[in-house]
Amino acid sequence: MLFFSFFKTLTNQTVTIELKNDIRIRGILKSVDQYLNIKLDDIEVLDLAKYPHLSSVKNMFIRGSVVRYVMLPRSEVDVGLLEDATRREAANQAGKAR
Amino acid sequence: MAFFGFDTTLPRDRNGPGARGFFENPDPFADIARANALGDDDVIDFEDTYDGLGDQLPDDQDEFNDDTFGTSSADKSVGRDFDFFGKTAQVSDAIGEEQVRFSLQNPNAGRVAPQPAQVPVQPTAPQTTKRSGYEKYSDPGYIPDLQAKSSVWGVSQKKPEPASAVAAAAPSRKMMSLEEVEAQMRYHGHNTATPAAEAFLRSMVEQPQFPSQLQHLQTLPDGFPLVPPEFIQAQMKQGHLPPQMPHPPPGMPELYGGPGHMPPSGPLHMMQNTNLPPQNLPPPGPRHGPHQAQRPQRPQQPQQPQQPLQHQQVLPPTRSSNNGMPVITNPQQLMHLTEEQRNTYLVEDAKRAKRNHKIFLLSRGNGLMTPQDKNFITRIQLQQLVAAAGNIADADPEAVLAEDFYYQVYSQIRGAPRQHPHQPLGHFAQTYLLQTGNRLGGHRRGNFQSADNHMQRMQQQVQRAVEAAKAKPKNKQLIIEGSLGKISFSNAKAPKPMLNIKRPDSSEGPKPKKQSDLSLSDRKSILTNLEGVYSALMAMEDMERTMPPPPEEGDAEAIQEHMEWRQKLHSLNQKLWRSLKVMEPIVPNSTTPHPFIAFLSYPKGKKAIPRIFRHIDQEQRVTILTMIVVHLDSLDVVRLAQPVPGEAQPSLGVREAIDLFSLAVMPCLLGYVNEAPFNIIIGLLGLVINQTHVQTVARTKVGLGILTMLLSRAEIVKEAGQASEHDWQQWVEKFNVLFDTLELGLNEIFPGSISSGDDMYVWQFLAAVGIGASPEQQQRLVIAVKDRVMETVGYSKTLPADMGSQRLNNVNLFMRAIGLDVELLG
Repeated sequence: MLFFSFFKTLTNQTVTIELKNDIRIRGILKSVDQYLNIKLDDIEVLDLAKYPHLSSVKNMFIRGSVVRYVMLPRSEVDVGLLEDATRREAANQAGKAR
Repeated sequence: MAFFGFDTTLPRDRNGPGARGFFENPDPFADIARANALGDDDVIDFEDTYDGLGDQLPDDQDEFNDDTFGTSSADKSVGRDFDFFGKTAQVSDAIGEEQVRFSLQNPNAGRVAPQPAQVPVQPTAPQTTKRSGYEKYSDPGYIPDLQAKSSVWGVSQKKPEPASAVAAAAPSRKMMSLEEVEAQMRYHGHNTATPAAEAFLRSMVEQPQFPSQLQHLQTLPDGFPLVPPEFIQAQMKQGHLPPQMPHPPPGMPELYGGPGHMPPSGPLHMMQNTNLPPQNLPPPGPRHGPHQAQRPQRPQQPQQPQQPLQHQQVLPPTRSSNNGMPVITNPQQLMHLTEEQRNTYLVEDAKRAKRNHKIFLLSRGNGLMTPQDKNFITRIQLQQLVAAAGNIADADPEAVLAEDFYYQVYSQIRGAPRQHPHQPLGHFAQTYLLQTGNRLGGHRRGNFQSADNHMQRMQQQVQRAVEAAKAKPKNKQLIIEGSLGKISFSNAKAPKPMLNIKRPDSSEGPKPKKQSDLSLSDRKSILTNLEGVYSALMAMEDMERTMPPPPEEGDAEAIQEHMEWRQKLHSLNQKLWRSLKVMEPIVPNSTTPHPFIAFLSYPKGKKAIPRIFRHIDQEQRVTILTMIVVHLDSLDVVRLAQPVPGEAQPSLGVREAIDLFSLAVMPCLLGYVNEAPFNIIIGLLGLVINQTHVQTVARTKVGLGILTMLLSRAEIVKEAGQASEHDWQQWVEKFNVLFDTLELGLNEIFPGSISSGDDMYVWQFLAAVGIGASPEQQQRLVIAVKDRVMETVGYSKTLPADMGSQRLNNVNLFMRAIGLDVELLG
């Protein structure tokens, strides 16, 4: 849930998503779900010349499993809080595993 | 049809008592034929009714026939072209079986087949028999659907067919499709009671065996739209039947449909006509009972050649065809039976009556609720289920926080992100859905009709119920009493562990090996300590959130609760303190840093200090401060920050560490020092002088900062007059030592060259020294830093106005402390 929780805070931010097939898409993160499927609005494909078939796509839904990276605006990430959230997540997992 | 002389009789056509299939029940309609065979015994001769009916038919309510069988013209136009099967089935068993399957799937096929001309001539109906093939419906446990559709019948009728056909014990039997039977019944239903029926009814009422006969009536297959038991009972109460009763009397319950569907005379009438041959029976004669067990929708086939064997069996219309019992179609038949037969018959009848009564009792509530009603009830139940589960979840914000910590806290800190319609369905959405209850989703599908919503809501509720059940596994393990093992449940969040190994308590973790060098394991242990500190911190922060309200006077329970809370907090505090390792013994001249100092050398260690300081008491704070002061020159921010010749400033990493230390740790220390009693300040200064290399410390920003802190606090205490004479004497002694030590290196405390920017902290330190210094010391101070002052003033004039004035202000801090001003330097 940590990543889901984290990406939820990035809604309506501009992110760049690199897919496992090397396509990079920049757009406004509209929503994310528990599978980290991602909905992007106002998208822009970074090297469009390579992927002309995407030139008319305005928004897309990306299945979470095909995402390689999500590049985030740094200012929108509260690192300290994220560290703590990570600790809690780890504690939760440890608690569940026990 | 015989190919090459083979016996092509279909298996189902083979006669023989032993050849019965797995269907125990004989042909439900066999008794029609049987009754036909018994025709001589009937009081009412078949021929009487038959002729009359045939004449009546064309004039009377023919329009219903069209409804039932389709229009005649349509039938003709349909023709026989479609009936490929009819031809081919004669050839192959396999195709015959295929056809059975087909007819199972298309029960309506039978509707088309009957020739319209033949319709009037098929007044046969299933007879009230001992064994009708529908016994299973009389099973007390079986509650029949009294509104069964014809399609249901189509299925149930077909199944017993092959087996019963094979049995063929009854002579001259002819299978009728259910559709035909229904059609006949309906036909008779529309024709009001014939005189013969009336006569029968009357005779029936007057019979001494009336009750049993009545029960007999009720044993008609339940699915038939026949006389409801209520009706029979009503008749019994009246004691007689009205002579002409085409419809149930007013006020009678009409549970099973309109009057047209269940005229009382229908079944009764059919009883009279049991000896009528089915429609596609050829005329009686040697070929009587062309029992090919062909489906009635193939009426073109009755001419199929008979097997001799079959023929023989068919011919003599034996009476004891089934199980030696005659078929009683009329009360008066009983009179002709032997005593034994009659007794058996009556016993059977009583049994049946019992069963039927039970069915009646059970079916009393049938049809009271529509499917919609049932849906509604189910929905309410589910709603309560979900609400019960959901409320537990709602009441535990901590659980939400645990799952969604980052988002929740981030939202609180930075303000929730704009709400938008596509927000992922999380706890909030679920809560929202629960609160709105039955309005769920209504606003989105406002255009849809409510009937549609019904099922959707159901589905959603089921979904939520399932989710709630999934989310809250009641027990992670099930231990069945007496069993040796545990059954652990798994879900997506907590998969079933393959091995169940008990871990040692985490607090028993390995202690840091202080003796070893800064190896990986040492680093690891430091980081482990660090995480221990953080987990303790988070636990304490959680505790703070759950702090019970301050107890009121006399509220023992609240006080008790509060005490327990404090107890827990205290134990957490002890845990935190242990994890910090502040109290680890100081090993003099050790090459490895003290655990706490090592702790502080990590950025997250520095960041933890402000949080730690919020949760510890003053004594613990002074301990930490003392620890830092004692190890001042081994602090990373001091040790690594020593100016290296040839480099203007320390490396980037060190500068970041210094900045972080200044931002995170220093304010905490300052906050404590500003309230610290004077003797502690004196002691700390003494520690700096005795335990550390003052000149080294003074060459760093952090070291100077701490010195400034102590000096300025002492000055404030003095100004406030809180310092006792004795303390002040001690302070002055220490100060003098410090001053003498520092004087030689005063020029070296400035960072790099004059142009390297930030030297404010140095001027602050000098100011702090200058205030506390004696006039003689002030003079020495001015001499020591005079060059730097002049340089800075000169340099500031070359800078832009605002930067220049800032530098001058920094210098002025010091100058004013010793009673001077940069203006004087002109």
